[in-house]
Amino acid sequence: MKLRRSFLIAVPYTWLLIFFLVPFGIVLKISFSDIALAIPPYTPTLKDGFWQMLSGLDLENYAFIGAGAVFALFAVVVISIAMFQIVYPRVRRALIPDARYGVFDSAAAALTTLAVALVNVALIVAVLGLLFPALKAFVDIPDFLYFAAYLSSLKIAIISTFLTLLIGYPIAYAMARAAEHWRPTLLMLVILPFWTSFLIRVYAWIGILSTEGYLNQFLLGVGIIGEPLAILNTPIAVYIGIVYTYLPFMVLPIYAALDKMDDSLVEAAEDLGCTALSAFWLVTAPLSKPGVIAGCFLVFIPTLGEFVIPSLLGGSNTVMIGKVLWEEFFNNRDWPVASAVAVILLLILIIPIVLFQRNQQEADQ
Amino acid sequence: MAQPKPNKVFAPWDDPDAKPIIQFKNVTKRFGDFTAIDNLTLDIYPQEFFALLGPSGCGKTTLMRMLGGFETPTEGTILLDGVDIGPVPPNERPVNMMFQSYALFPHLSVWDNIAFGLKRSNMPKDQIGERVERMLKLTQLGKFAKRKPHQISGGQRQRVALARSLAKAPKLLLLDEPLGALDKKLRNETQFELMDIQETTGTTFVIVTHDQEEAMTVASRVAVMVDGNLAQVATPDQIYEAPSSTYVADFIGDVNIIEGVVDLPDAEVPDGAVSIRWSPTEAPIIAMMDTALPTASACHFAIRPEKVSISTEKPEAKNVMSGKILDIAYLGNISTYHVEVAPGLIIKAQATNVRRLSRRNLTWDDHVYLSWTDTAGVVLTE
Amino acid sequence: MKNAYLLSGIAALALVAGSATAEEVRVYNWSDYIDEDLLAQFEEETGIDLIYDVFDSNEVLETKMLSGGSGYDVVVPSGTFLQRQIVAGAFQTLDQSQLSNAGNMWDVVSSRTEQYDPENAYSINYMWGTTGIGVNVGRVQEVLGEDAPIDSWDLVFDPANMEKLAECGVHFLDAPAEMIPAALNYIGEDPNSHDPDVIAKAADVFDAVRPFIQKFNSSAYINGLANGDICVAVGWSGDVLQARDRAAEADNGVEIAYNVPIEGAQMWFDQMAIPVDAPNVEGAHKFLNFIMDAQNMAAASNYVYYANGNLASQEHLIEDVIGDVAIYPDAATLDNLFTTTPYDARVQRVVTRLWTTVKSGQ
Repeated sequence: MKLRRSFLIAVPYTWLLIFFLVPFGIVLKISFSDIALAIPPYTPTLKDGFWQMLSGLDLENYAFIGAGAVFALFAVVVISIAMFQIVYPRVRRALIPDARYGVFDSAAAALTTLAVALVNVALIVAVLGLLFPALKAFVDIPDFLYFAAYLSSLKIAIISTFLTLLIGYPIAYAMARAAEHWRPTLLMLVILPFWTSFLIRVYAWIGILSTEGYLNQFLLGVGIIGEPLAILNTPIAVYIGIVYTYLPFMVLPIYAALDKMDDSLVEAAEDLGCTALSAFWLVTAPLSKPGVIAGCFLVFIPTLGEFVIPSLLGGSNTVMIGKVLWEEFFNNRDWPVASAVAVILLLILIIPIVLFQRNQQEADQ
Repeated sequence: MAQPKPNKVFAPWDDPDAKPIIQFKNVTKRFGDFTAIDNLTLDIYPQEFFALLGPSGCGKTTLMRMLGGFETPTEGTILLDGVDIGPVPPNERPVNMMFQSYALFPHLSVWDNIAFGLKRSNMPKDQIGERVERMLKLTQLGKFAKRKPHQISGGQRQRVALARSLAKAPKLLLLDEPLGALDKKLRNETQFELMDIQETTGTTFVIVTHDQEEAMTVASRVAVMVDGNLAQVATPDQIYEAPSSTYVADFIGDVNIIEGVVDLPDAEVPDGAVSIRWSPTEAPIIAMMDTALPTASACHFAIRPEKVSISTEKPEAKNVMSGKILDIAYLGNISTYHVEVAPGLIIKAQATNVRRLSRRNLTWDDHVYLSWTDTAGVVLTE
Repeated sequence: MKNAYLLSGIAALALVAGSATAEEVRVYNWSDYIDEDLLAQFEEETGIDLIYDVFDSNEVLETKMLSGGSGYDVVVPSGTFLQRQIVAGAFQTLDQSQLSNAGNMWDVVSSRTEQYDPENAYSINYMWGTTGIGVNVGRVQEVLGEDAPIDSWDLVFDPANMEKLAECGVHFLDAPAEMIPAALNYIGEDPNSHDPDVIAKAADVFDAVRPFIQKFNSSAYINGLANGDICVAVGWSGDVLQARDRAAEADNGVEIAYNVPIEGAQMWFDQMAIPVDAPNVEGAHKFLNFIMDAQNMAAASNYVYYANGNLASQEHLIEDVIGDVAIYPDAATLDNLFTTTPYDARVQRVVTRLWTTVKSGQ
C-alpha cells in the first residue's frame, strides 16, 4: 500500500520534473553562460566537463539586462503584498479587534506598506552594495531597455486586462441573464473563434485595421471620417488584438461565476430596497469577483509575455518583453541573454500566478 | 352540512367594516399562452397569517411574486392599503419577501445580511445596530452574527432569512415555501416559532406552501388554489370540515368520496337531509344538508376516514354499510382500514389505537360494519 | 492465376519497401524561391527523393544550424549568416570533384562571395540581389511632385521628404545589418564599418526620420506596397518586384517601381551550403551540381525574377529578367554596390541595441 501511494505521488512530481524543472534548469544554466560562435552558440557546455562547466558560469548576463533593478522592484512588490495580506491584518486585529474597515483604510494601508517595502529594499540594496562591491553592477542599470521593456509589457498587460474586463463582463453578464435555451449557443459563439488558428485571426485584423482596410472603408463610406484612420501599427491595434484574442478567457470564468449565482439573490436585494444598479454593485459584482479575478489573471499572465500580437499589429515603438526576448534569441543569437530575460520574466510572473492560485483556493472554499 | 362558526376573536374577514390590507381585483397574469392567474379576486386583512396552498403550477408563487413586485399583473389591479401598487418597483414597496432558497448573500456575514435592507433605508447607523441586535435576539441567532451563511446550519439559515425580511418591519411579509428545505422535526418546531414571531410583530404574513399540514398549522386562513383560480378561501377547520368541492376535500387530508344521485324524499329521511343512492341494492346514505337538492341530481358524498366507525357487529346508526377488510395500515397512534363495501368501492375508516394490541380482533378478510352519523360527511355538487 | 496475384503482390511490396529505403536529399530553402518543376526534374534525373522544406528568415535557419542536428543536406543562408555559421563550424567544405558544373559560375559574383566564404570552399551562390527602395510611383509623385528623387536615398533619409511621405506610409526593413550600412553609406561613412563609434552615427540618420516611419518590417511591406497601403518601402529587390507583379495582377491602379539608389546599395547573396552533419553528403553534392547547370539555374531565375551567380545561365534567361536593370543592374550600378561582413558578438550587441533605440526611441 505504501509503495503504491508513493508511486502515485511520484507520478505528478516526475511530470513536473521532466516537463518544467529540467527545461527551466537548462534555460537557467544557459543564462549563466557566455555567448560564443559555436554549436551551440554559448559556452561553457557539458562537453567541457561538468565541473569545468560549473566554474565557467557567471551572472554577467543578468548584470547586462539590469536584473538587479528588476529584482529590487520585484522585492518591493512581494514585500508590499506580503505585508498587506499577512502582517497588516494581524496588526490591525491586535490593535482594534472589532473594527470593520473600509476602502479608505485599505488604500492607506497599501500605501504605507508600499512605502515601508521601498525603504526596506533600498536599505538592503545599499547594505549589500557595501558588503559585496561585485554586486554593484546589478544596481547600476547599464541599459534601461530591458527594464523599460518589462515595465512597458506590464503597462500593456494591465491596460489590456482592464479593457478586456470592461468588454468581457457585460458579455458574460448578458450570457448569464439570457434565456436558458440560448446559453449553449451563446457559449458556443464565444468559444467558436478558438477553432481557427490564432495567427489567422490576428492576420484578419491586419485586413480590418489597415489604412485601406474594411474598417476605414466602412467609416469613410458612412461618412463618419473624412481621412482614413491610422490604427494598424499603433498601440491601439495591439490593444484591439489582445482584447479580441483573450476575450474568451475573461468571459468564460465570469460567466461561470454569474451562472452559478442564484437569481433570487438579486431579487432579494431589490426586495430589501436596492435599485437595479445598487443590487448589481452590492450583490452581483462581489459574487462574480472570483470569476473576475480568475479572468483577469488568465488574460494578464499570457499578455505579459505576448509576442505575436505586438509584432504583427503593433508599431515599432511597441516594446514588449516577448519581442525583446525574440530579438535576443534570433537576431542577436544571444541565447544567454535571451535566457536571462526569460528567467526574469518567469520570476515576475510568479507573483500573479501565486495570487491566482490563492484566489482559486478561496473560491473553492 | 353546517359547522358552527369557529369561536375566534380574530376574524376580520367576517367583519364587513374591516379594511383589507391587500386587495386583488380581477387580477389575471399570462405568460405567453399560459394563464397563471385567471381573473382572481381576493382580500387579505391586516395581521392575518394567510396561506396560499396548492400543487405546483397552480399559480400560488406567481400570486406572491406579484405582491413582491417581481411580476406585474396582465390585467386587474392589486391594492395595498387602498393604493394601486402595480407601478411601484419592488425596492419601494413596504413588502418584504423570504425566498424559498433563502437567497442569503453568501459574501456577507449573518449580521450584514440582516442589516442589508436597513442600510438601504435612511435609518441612522446606531439604530441599524440596535435593530439588527433585536432581530438576532428574536430569532436566537446572537451567537452566529459574524458567521457567513455557509458556516451555519439549514435551520439557522432559515432564521437569518426570516430576520432579514422582518428587519425593515414591512407591512406585509411574504414567505415562499419557508420551511421546504428543513427536515420534518425542525419544520414542526419552526412552524410554531413562525406563528410566535407573527404574533409578536403583528405583521401580516402571506405564506406559499404546497404542504397542506403546514398551511393548516400556521395559517389563520387558507386559500386553496387550482389552475390559477381560488378553489376555496376559508379558515383551516372550514377547509377541512366543510370543503366547497371534491377537489378541496381530496386535496386536504384523507377523504372517502362516494358518487351518487339524490333519491326521492321519503318518510325515513328527516327534514334538512338528503338521501343519496349510490348503489342499486344497498341502502342510501342519509346526510344533513343546508340547501335542498333537486331529486335525481348527481352529487358526491365526502366523509373523512376518522369519522367512520368500524365494528364487527352491526351498530345502530343512520348510515351502516358492511364489507370486507382489504388492507390495514398501522400508523402507531391510529390504524386505517380499507374496506370494500361494494365491488370496486373502498371506504377508509380510521380508528384510534386507544389500547395496546387492541382491535386485534379485526384482521384481513374479516367481515365488518362501517357506520357514521348523518352529520359526519358533506354532500358536494362540484 | 493465384500465383500471378501473389507475385504482383510481392512486387508491390518490394516497390513500397524500395521507396522507403531510397536515397533522399533534404533541402531547406527560402519560401517561393524555386521553380517546382526543377524539383521533379532532379528526382527524375537522379532517382533521389527530394524533400524540400522552406523557411522565411535567416534567423530561423541560423537557430537550426547552431542548435545542430537539423537533418538537412542543403541549406541556403545569406552571405553574412553563412560566414558566421562557417566560423561556428556548421558547414563542411565542398568536394569540388563532385561539382562538374562549377565552371559555370560568374566571377563578378564569386569574387564578392569570397569575403564571406574564402575561396568559396563551403558554398555556391544561388541567387543574389540588392537592398533598395520600392515606391508607389503615382502616390509619391502626388506627394513630392513629378521630380521626386525615387532613385536616391534622399527619398527616405531626408527628413524634408519623409515628413511629406509620412501621410502615405513608409516602411523600413527590420534588419539592422541592411539598414545601418545603407545609412552609413548615405552619410559617406564606410558601410562595412565595424567601429561602434562610426555605427553610432547611423542612429542620427534614423532619428531624424523616425517619426515619419510607419513600421519596421521585413515582409509585410510586400502586401503593403501591392495594396497601396504604403507608398515607400526600403526592401529587397525580389520582394519589391513581387509586389509590382501582384499590383499588376490585381489591376488596382497601383504602379510599383524598384530602384537601386544612385548613392549605392547593398548587394546580398544567398548561398547554398552543406551542413557539417548532413546525412547524405553525396546527394547534397548532386543537388548543388544540378542547380549549377546553366539551364536549370536559368529556369530558377526565370521563375523567381532574381539574378543568379551563374554566368553560363545568362544566355538562357528571358529578356524580362536579364534585361531588367532592377534585377541585373548595369555595370556602373554594379560597381556602386557594396557588401558587408558580419559583426562579431560584441559589435552585434551594439548594433542590435542601437536598432532597438532606432525603432522604439528607447
